[in-house]
Amino acid sequence: MTLNYEQLLEALKDCVETEDAYRADCENVAFLLDHCEIAVPSENRFFVQVNCGGVQREIYRLREAPFKGLWADHGLLDGIRCGAYTGNHDFGHTSTCWDQLLTFGIYGLYKRVEEFSEETRQDPRKQEFYENLLSVYQAVFRFLRRAAECARSCGKTEMADGILHLISGSPRTMFEAMQTVFIYYTLQQMFEGSPLRTLGRLDGTLFPYYVGREQEDLFCDFLTELDQIKADANLPFALGGTDAEGKDLINELSYFLLDCYTKLSTKNIKLHLLCSKNTPKEFVCNALDSVREGKNSIVFLSDEKVIESLIRQGADPLDAAKYHVVGCYECCADQEVPCSCSARVNIPKALELALNGGADLRTGKQILPFERTEFKSFSDLYDRFVSVLQELCRRGMKTTDLMEAHYKQVHASPIYTSANIHALRKCGDVYADFAAKYNNSSLNAFGLATAVDSLVAIRKLVYEDHTMTLTELIDVLRSDWEGRESFRLLIRNRFPKYGNGDPSVDVFAGRIADALYEAVGGVPNAKGGIWRLGLFSINWRWEFGAKTAASADGRRCGEPLSQNSGATFGSDREGATAHLSSVCAIDASKTPNGTIADLDLHASSVKGENGLKTMYATLKTYFEKGGFAVHYNVLDTEVLKAARKDPSAYPNLQVRLCGWNVLFATLSDQEKDEFIARSMKG
Amino acid sequence: MKGLISGIKRMEIHDGDGCRTTVFFKGCPLRCLWCHNPESLFLVPQTAFFSDKCIGCGLCNGNRNEQSADACPVCAQVYYGREWDAESLAEELSRDEDYFRNSGGGVTLSGGECLLQGNFAVELARLLKKRGISVFVDTCGYVKRGVLERIIPYTDRFLYDIKAIDPAVHRYCTGKENGLILENLRFLSEQGCDVEIRYPLVIGYNDGECEKIGAFLRGLKGISKIKVLQYHPFAASRYLALGMKNTMPDTVTTFEDVERSVSILKSYGLPAVNGILED
Repeated sequence: MTLNYEQLLEALKDCVETEDAYRADCENVAFLLDHCEIAVPSENRFFVQVNCGGVQREIYRLREAPFKGLWADHGLLDGIRCGAYTGNHDFGHTSTCWDQLLTFGIYGLYKRVEEFSEETRQDPRKQEFYENLLSVYQAVFRFLRRAAECARSCGKTEMADGILHLISGSPRTMFEAMQTVFIYYTLQQMFEGSPLRTLGRLDGTLFPYYVGREQEDLFCDFLTELDQIKADANLPFALGGTDAEGKDLINELSYFLLDCYTKLSTKNIKLHLLCSKNTPKEFVCNALDSVREGKNSIVFLSDEKVIESLIRQGADPLDAAKYHVVGCYECCADQEVPCSCSARVNIPKALELALNGGADLRTGKQILPFERTEFKSFSDLYDRFVSVLQELCRRGMKTTDLMEAHYKQVHASPIYTSANIHALRKCGDVYADFAAKYNNSSLNAFGLATAVDSLVAIRKLVYEDHTMTLTELIDVLRSDWEGRESFRLLIRNRFPKYGNGDPSVDVFAGRIADALYEAVGGVPNAKGGIWRLGLFSINWRWEFGAKTAASADGRRCGEPLSQNSGATFGSDREGATAHLSSVCAIDASKTPNGTIADLDLHASSVKGENGLKTMYATLKTYFEKGGFAVHYNVLDTEVLKAARKDPSAYPNLQVRLCGWNVLFATLSDQEKDEFIARSMKG
Repeated sequence: MKGLISGIKRMEIHDGDGCRTTVFFKGCPLRCLWCHNPESLFLVPQTAFFSDKCIGCGLCNGNRNEQSADACPVCAQVYYGREWDAESLAEELSRDEDYFRNSGGGVTLSGGECLLQGNFAVELARLLKKRGISVFVDTCGYVKRGVLERIIPYTDRFLYDIKAIDPAVHRYCTGKENGLILENLRFLSEQGCDVEIRYPLVIGYNDGECEKIGAFLRGLKGISKIKVLQYHPFAASRYLALGMKNTMPDTVTTFEDVERSVSILKSYGLPAVNGILED
């Protein structure tokens, strides 16, 4: 009997409370596999669609709710509410061992669990663990048989035959390998509810099945069907990378996949390009050319820097070399669960609290036990800012640790676990038992440019030019620049700013990143792993900006904070090369979770052969100088203006919002205007 | 040694090979009707006032000078003509050195007419060359032979404007005769310099010159490229802000116009390219 989404959720809600999420979730996943509805969209070639995506996520949200009470017990709520920090579970940023998965297939994963089970017959506890997994797999095969029947009844013989083979054997052809990607993705994402945030390095995992460019239709169908999956913040895959000896891994399939990706009009899949100094220039230029033609959804990452950052956090060099990008830009080693979006810290808020004696400037509420002082020197103020910032990090981590300590009662991952050899050996669930090789957590600090520009403005106004006292400046900020609009604009538009390659300004970005790393990097978490640092904001800059008082960089109260690790929009007056040089002031080897430059380039500035050559040079130079990741928005002001006026005429116009792509037409008017303003500078 | 500079633009792709930083010198001996850089015409500092940006804050006290421009919160005033010494300017222009190296780029001296401030331009080019940076010189050619001779050793390529061959047309369009310009071009060619010709095509003004330009250039060696540039009258707001009479012709050069000129120049065996496609 099949059930609709509400019925599925209703049926599982009865067993929300549990002391053993592993056992409960094995049962839940099996239940969903047996009772979900299956649809076969006429355009699908590889796999079916199911209706249970989100059920298990709803269940763990219900399970985690009582634990949020711990935040109040530990005095963390006021800081969360004022937008200084947050923390929570993150079950949403995972990869899997894609290379093994495609070699084994779903059937091979099952057989491997079976072997483990047979080897541990003498140990009832272990036996129970594997038996639970095997019962999930029995349900998987029942589900796959149902899927095959549905496919056949809809005339999809190729799909049905492939599924039936994969119930009893590993993939033999490119088609079956692609089907395996869809099946595994559906199992982990839709049934288990641990969102899978990358399809891995497809040019490596699919290469054994590649026979040549005559498979173009197959690849285009594959990417088109992937594009139909409704993934949050897009569905990424990666190309390139290097092996542990630093040898470049670009192959014929890398070029072919990039060509197919460029050719198709996709909205939901995005691409991570893993570049090293040995990556062929031609390949990188093909990708840049694709960006120029409007494929704004490609992120370029530096292999050398990413691997260095992962080794620095303690990953085995072999695991580091096989890293994954599990979301927008955050990198994790193979076998690592990074929980890349678990804690967040608002850097400008730290400065606000430092200036105002630990109290929120908007509400006056005391958040931290600091006394308000008139700092005699800029360095006194800066030291206080760092103390506050590091305290916010500790609180953000604590907020997360309190939740993560209870994974056992919140969420388990039988599918994800079955594909993870380390967890199988440990005989534990990746989440509920912290059984991955690396069970880490990540803190993202954001609003970096807002904070740097504010510090530089305060130094100039109060301690260099003596334009006003610090108390007077704080009063101006508290009043949100009331009656001081021209003063605000002067600071906003004419003061030195991060993003212009000015070392006297950029040095603060480096120092802040160092202070954050000191407080976060390598600190033990609640799962036997460590904390990692990232410097990206994605769209949190809107939400947290709304709770942040006016800042000394000329930002009004409530306005968004700066994006990711780059300059405040409009402040990078010296252009892209200077902007990238500024971002390189940050030691990105301390940020495995990402240091990202967003470059807005006007279409005319990268036109022609010389434009491409120059774009390539910016990327190469940025990586040589220690850059971590960059993504480009090539914007044409006139096109954006026309699309703002008449959205219906530009239904497919895409822009990169922060870590993912969106259709321009779906943005708010405020966001549209921001993009238009960004495209006009220079 | 000091020079007057109207602006610096980094990551410029239209002024020669690779990623370049272009420095705009103040002052020009010509008065081309279609000049796009009116702020660079005079060899004196000027403050432009963009009234549409002004918020009436009064911080400038009605002044129009370097200080008031720096104090304007919305950049409604822009000061053109800052004084630089050659060392500091060379340092400033070298900031993108790594990007130059990776793209085959460098610095382009432009303007105005960079060689009008001859000693300063030569010194700047020498300092840049000493740093191993490629130097391109964008010139109208209406300059002293001595200055040209002195800058040749530090110049990797000349970007050389040819607007007309007919002296009367040239005088009408630029206010000056073109004898010196053509002689200087011949001289650079004889010296074995790498020269890229730029022909700004303004329909109704110098489009009739194409055949003559082809015939003239055919006899010269060292011409690596002839770029036919599209004209568009987009600098009106700057003329207004500078309080200068806008002389820009109200005409548009189309893609087809440029293509036609390119094919004429090609018929003379010249390496002509369409600037719209290249830029």
